[in-house]
Amino acid sequence: MSDEPAVLMANITKVYPGNIVANDRVSLAVREGTIHVVVGENGAGKTTLMGILYGAVRPEEGRIRLRGTDVVFGSPADAIRCGIAMVTQHSSLIPALTLLDGVLLGHEGSVAGFLRRRAVTAQLDAIAARLGISVPWHRPARELTVAALQKAEIVRALYRGATVLILDEPTAALAPPEADALYSTLRDLAAAGTTVIVVTHRLHEVMEHASRVTVLRRGRVVAETETSHTSARELAAQMVGGTSQPVAELTRSELPADWDAGNADETPALRSARTTPGLPVLELRSIRLRGRKSVAEAPIDLTVHAGEIVGVAGVDGNGQRELVQAILGFAATGGGHVIVNGTDVSRAAPRRRSSAGLAWCPEDRQAEGLILGFDITENLLLPNLDRADLGAGPRMDWPRAGRVASEAMRIHGIQASSPTARAGSLSGGNQQKLLIARALICRPKCLVAMQPTRGLDIHAANAAFAAMRAGCANGMGVLLISLDLDELLEMSDRIAVLYDHRLVDVVPNVPGAREMIGAMMTTGMRPQ
Amino acid sequence: MKSLLVRCAMSRQAVGLFMAIIVAAGIIAATGSNAAEALSAMFYGAIGDIPSAVSESFKSHRLVLPNEPLRLIAKATPLILSGLAVAVALRAGLFNIGAEGQILVGAFAAATVGAAWPGTPAILHLPACLVAGMLAGASWAAIAGALKAWRGAHEVIVTIMLNYVAIQLTHYMVNGPARDPSSLAPATRLIQPGARLWALEGGTNFSAGIVLAVAAAVAVWHLFARLRIGFEIRAVGENPEAARMAAIPVARTMIVAMAISGALAGLAGAVEVLGVHRRYLDAFSPGYGFESIAVAFLGNLHPAGIIASACLFGGIAGGAVHMEAFTSTPRQIAGIVQAVVILAVAVRWNAAGRADRNARQ
Repeated sequence: MSDEPAVLMANITKVYPGNIVANDRVSLAVREGTIHVVVGENGAGKTTLMGILYGAVRPEEGRIRLRGTDVVFGSPADAIRCGIAMVTQHSSLIPALTLLDGVLLGHEGSVAGFLRRRAVTAQLDAIAARLGISVPWHRPARELTVAALQKAEIVRALYRGATVLILDEPTAALAPPEADALYSTLRDLAAAGTTVIVVTHRLHEVMEHASRVTVLRRGRVVAETETSHTSARELAAQMVGGTSQPVAELTRSELPADWDAGNADETPALRSARTTPGLPVLELRSIRLRGRKSVAEAPIDLTVHAGEIVGVAGVDGNGQRELVQAILGFAATGGGHVIVNGTDVSRAAPRRRSSAGLAWCPEDRQAEGLILGFDITENLLLPNLDRADLGAGPRMDWPRAGRVASEAMRIHGIQASSPTARAGSLSGGNQQKLLIARALICRPKCLVAMQPTRGLDIHAANAAFAAMRAGCANGMGVLLISLDLDELLEMSDRIAVLYDHRLVDVVPNVPGAREMIGAMMTTGMRPQ
Repeated sequence: MKSLLVRCAMSRQAVGLFMAIIVAAGIIAATGSNAAEALSAMFYGAIGDIPSAVSESFKSHRLVLPNEPLRLIAKATPLILSGLAVAVALRAGLFNIGAEGQILVGAFAAATVGAAWPGTPAILHLPACLVAGMLAGASWAAIAGALKAWRGAHEVIVTIMLNYVAIQLTHYMVNGPARDPSSLAPATRLIQPGARLWALEGGTNFSAGIVLAVAAAVAVWHLFARLRIGFEIRAVGENPEAARMAAIPVARTMIVAMAISGALAGLAGAVEVLGVHRRYLDAFSPGYGFESIAVAFLGNLHPAGIIASACLFGGIAGGAVHMEAFTSTPRQIAGIVQAVVILAVAVRWNAAGRADRNARQ
């Protein structure tokens, strides 16, 4: 039955507790040996649908057929037995183990209790060679880049006999050249007969690499078509729906590179022409970052002026975290000066840097940003405990703090029943709004924002950026650290590129900067 | 909207107590005794014969109090203070197993200051003794806080070890350099009259310490509800990483929380020697520091809850003695009642507990 699709999901419905319909009669047909992309905003139901196909989520209704055979998955183990493999956003390889041990784990293939390491390595290398890639099987996972781990996971999946490969946002943490290499591998795989399903929200990837695309919105399929019969523009419109959302408000990360936003007012070049950068609000002079093993050789010099947004680009793990820790004062540097609004705070504790005019939004909203068990008011005060006008101070004035929180909720559009709602009960977008609100409430001179849109949908990301832009209009400077180059190109006036814990260069965000930045991110050198 | 009364009645604590009574009744019946008789003896032993005390009061036109409730309060006093100590540390995410050691050093310091300087006016001497006890307990606990905050040593291990040091150190002092030669048992010299807490005659051990314990409970409530340092302690306990990123000095906050915790435990020890024993007696604590861990959990780490659970434990202890004296049931059954209460509280019977289990599957 060669015309049967490799994967057929029919009328899948999944309702989470609280009557949240994640999938509403979703159907998906994937032809064997093709790359099929599922696109949609955050919360559109992509991850749930893939979880159902992988056996991790049980649907209320619907059925799954693999090559014409009905299957029911009780767990991922069932799905793996049927040849389905999933490569998730965050690597499932254990950091301390070598890649080889990661492959063997749970699939040991032992002979009389002894692992057959050498034989397995040979098999893995054979698979990798067929794909034209090489994987360092004997190195621990923690030493490798996201791109290398993905390659290892793909080879592992094939080694375990996968014929259907699911990849969830595989390019989220990759530099453009790495993403291209990944898709070239996937194309080779598809040509060899493997069925590839990719979940993404990057439409230019869809147009370049996929043969067929399914668009999900609010748990329903709104379109399924050959990519040759559609355009990125049409897909974007289908993704967000024909709502009140004006197209110009979309961040470029959701759109292909050749998209014409049509609203020139928001381009960084014009914005910087409108508000000429003011005095320096954050100066880094000869900062040396401490890497895992040593202090970086090349010192970093970087200045953020009032009213501008400076983006920091780089592949994950090239010193973003260390840079932020050095600026905020959470880790010792290997020398150099940090100057906030004219005050040298190189040796000051984070709290002193905060009162000098520095504010920050931590990267992981739930683990290091908010205290989920605290309410909105308490979270709002957390980094502002010196501020008597907000109701803080040695003796807390909770009624006043509650009024301040209500006002902040109104200004930033934080949707919650009251300021006493627990932060853990808020949606991701509202949690991010709360983080930004509490950073901006002390009217900082400089905001350091780490991945402020991670995991947010277009609307929530736009709200976060609008708040930052409003701050810039009032003379605040922003240092924006993001792994999403498209987002940086959309937001920043200038972009600094980190490579191996050093600053490659700072370039103005002009049209055509994208390729140069991509090259700097991966080679560490400025192309001639 | 459930009323406070309904929420209390439905709480894990109430369910636990109910289950404990049923289990205890079952065990008593299994030993061949009359469960109803034993339990009512225990109940009377805990709170006394209130109706006849009331009628006696009316007849004689003066207040007649049975001894049992006074004994209950006397027993609860150190448990309230050390229960508060455990709760303050737990709010900072620190498990202070060392309340026992902090009680001992606090008591020893208070007894030493109390026995010194004869003729000092009470207005100076008594506060000096209380402060000495609190300072001793605070410094003892701060050792564990500092090792945890600066060197990552686990506070459970450190506080357990400090318990041994405290027990042996006070044992040595009271048998050696600090021993009162005129005393038969190992004990320090008697505390000066001016440094003693007011106490009721008649062997109930009831003293003004209960006033201090309730005042401490109010102070702890104020600390967490109104003061910045209390807010910081809660933040560090809920999520130390988020607290650190919010520029809260996590290490300092941990040490302060442990010091406050130790001060409360030290006060418990000081109140015992100043109000009950009048001197430091070797090994005077029957394990208040350990029992207080259960008191804190049973009281849901809330000051009012801790007062209630300390009274419950005080009542069980008093009631058990009475039960053994008047029925054939041994008093060790009270230990089982306490244990079942704690176990029932540790298990979450509500929907949240089931959700946890489902999430793990």
